[in-house]
Amino acid sequence: MRAFQAELSKLFSLPGIWLAVLIGAVAPAGISALDSIAQKEDIVAGISTRLPEAGFIGLVLGVQGVIILGVLAVSSEYLTESSESGAGHQITTSLTAVPSRIHVLLAKAGAVAVISILQCIFAILTTVSVTHLMLGEYTPSFEGSRLLGTVCYWVFTALLAFAFTVLTKNALIPLAVLLINSSLVSFSVLLSKITKLAYYLPDRAGAEMFMVMGDRIHTPFTGGLVMFGWVAVLFIIAAIVFLRRDVAA
Amino acid sequence: MLLYTWNHNRKEVLWLLTIHNLVKRRGNREILSGISFIARPGRVTGFLGPNGAGKSSTLRILLGLDRATSGSALIHGKAFAELPNPLTTVGAALDGSGAHPMRTGRAHLRWLARAAGLPRSRVEEVLEIAGLTNAAGRRVGSYSLGMGRRLAMAAALLGDPEILILDEPVNGLDPEGIRWIRTLLRERAASGNTVLLSSHLMGELAETVDDVVVIHHGKVVADGTLAEVTGNHSTLESAFFALTSERGGDVS
Repeated sequence: MRAFQAELSKLFSLPGIWLAVLIGAVAPAGISALDSIAQKEDIVAGISTRLPEAGFIGLVLGVQGVIILGVLAVSSEYLTESSESGAGHQITTSLTAVPSRIHVLLAKAGAVAVISILQCIFAILTTVSVTHLMLGEYTPSFEGSRLLGTVCYWVFTALLAFAFTVLTKNALIPLAVLLINSSLVSFSVLLSKITKLAYYLPDRAGAEMFMVMGDRIHTPFTGGLVMFGWVAVLFIIAAIVFLRRDVAA
Repeated sequence: MLLYTWNHNRKEVLWLLTIHNLVKRRGNREILSGISFIARPGRVTGFLGPNGAGKSSTLRILLGLDRATSGSALIHGKAFAELPNPLTTVGAALDGSGAHPMRTGRAHLRWLARAAGLPRSRVEEVLEIAGLTNAAGRRVGSYSLGMGRRLAMAAALLGDPEILILDEPVNGLDPEGIRWIRTLLRERAASGNTVLLSSHLMGELAETVDDVVVIHHGKVVADGTLAEVTGNHSTLESAFFALTSERGGDVS
């Protein structure tokens, strides 16, 4: 519990984390508002094909906030101080304060998960409110199960980013790959044009927890299960590497 | 030959640091080739060697940060990872400040205090001891090397531990800082604590240490009290150069 509190304290004293929290909390409502404005005419005319997505489109993109959170939580430990400052790393301090590496890892993952959940709940509240404000009586219903799916999607994504960064120790690759994948070009969507296996990639399968897709092959539950499988496997690999790796390596 | 053979005995002694036959290989390179020595309570033990001799590797293994290929490095008879609340037993300062540059010095010490279950008031105490009270609200990235080292020392002292393990603690400090470290370490040892510090700066060390372990190319080449290691040489520094030059083995 102390280790968990220490990890929360670490996260909230980093400016980068506040940026991540802000993006996750504000962006979904903003994007949903823009999308609602663009779609409103079609929705009112009853010809919109994307009505079920209203609001959720912002929540899909808002996941970027928790990606940054998951990545920074780990990469901040490995950030090297400038050579003029002695080229130290925070990870040495972290591991001499809590010597059980598995405790450090679980405490950190727990802190990331808890912040992601709170961030997602806040994003849902603002997004639903904004969508209501924009679409008024035309607002589709936000089912509880889909909203729960959204929360799971955010937490799983944060943990994937977290585990990925444990392996790379560096923010650059995971941030680039995950942010591009979740915003500009979704590799899983591209791959799904080629092979059915792409439907089992974590972001694609996980999105089926709350997005209504034309070409879906999972139920929301199995989609979530597939994504959770990815999280579990990647986390176990990350844990093994983290437990065995020399800090100096 | 100044090299002592040390009979390993497995008796657990309070606050003793025991390094026994430590070997570390990374790839094909052997960084440590059977290092053995002890650091005793009530004494400051200087761990000397040129850059790349294996000092930091030894300290990292002792702190559970790196794994030994073979051999043991025990604190109080236990591996570091088995210590229940390590900050109150071992204070460590390795490279730089050990803090994230975007965090303030105070925030760094606060999360550490939380990890160890120490009160926030202790953070202010160690900031005071380290002379950082006025800089505590600034980001660590804006600190000078010396201030970063003071922050690392503050972190090491946070849990008021019986053992201090310090890697090059005087590196980057101004004369006042060096004097501060020296006085601090002498006081810690005088009150019965164990202090192990590494350095490649002999002059700074001679006035601080009681015992000296000299390491060169991953091997211990001398181990004894300051007087024993200095031997017939005029200073510790000249003894050190004699020991670590290529003909080091000839020195008697």
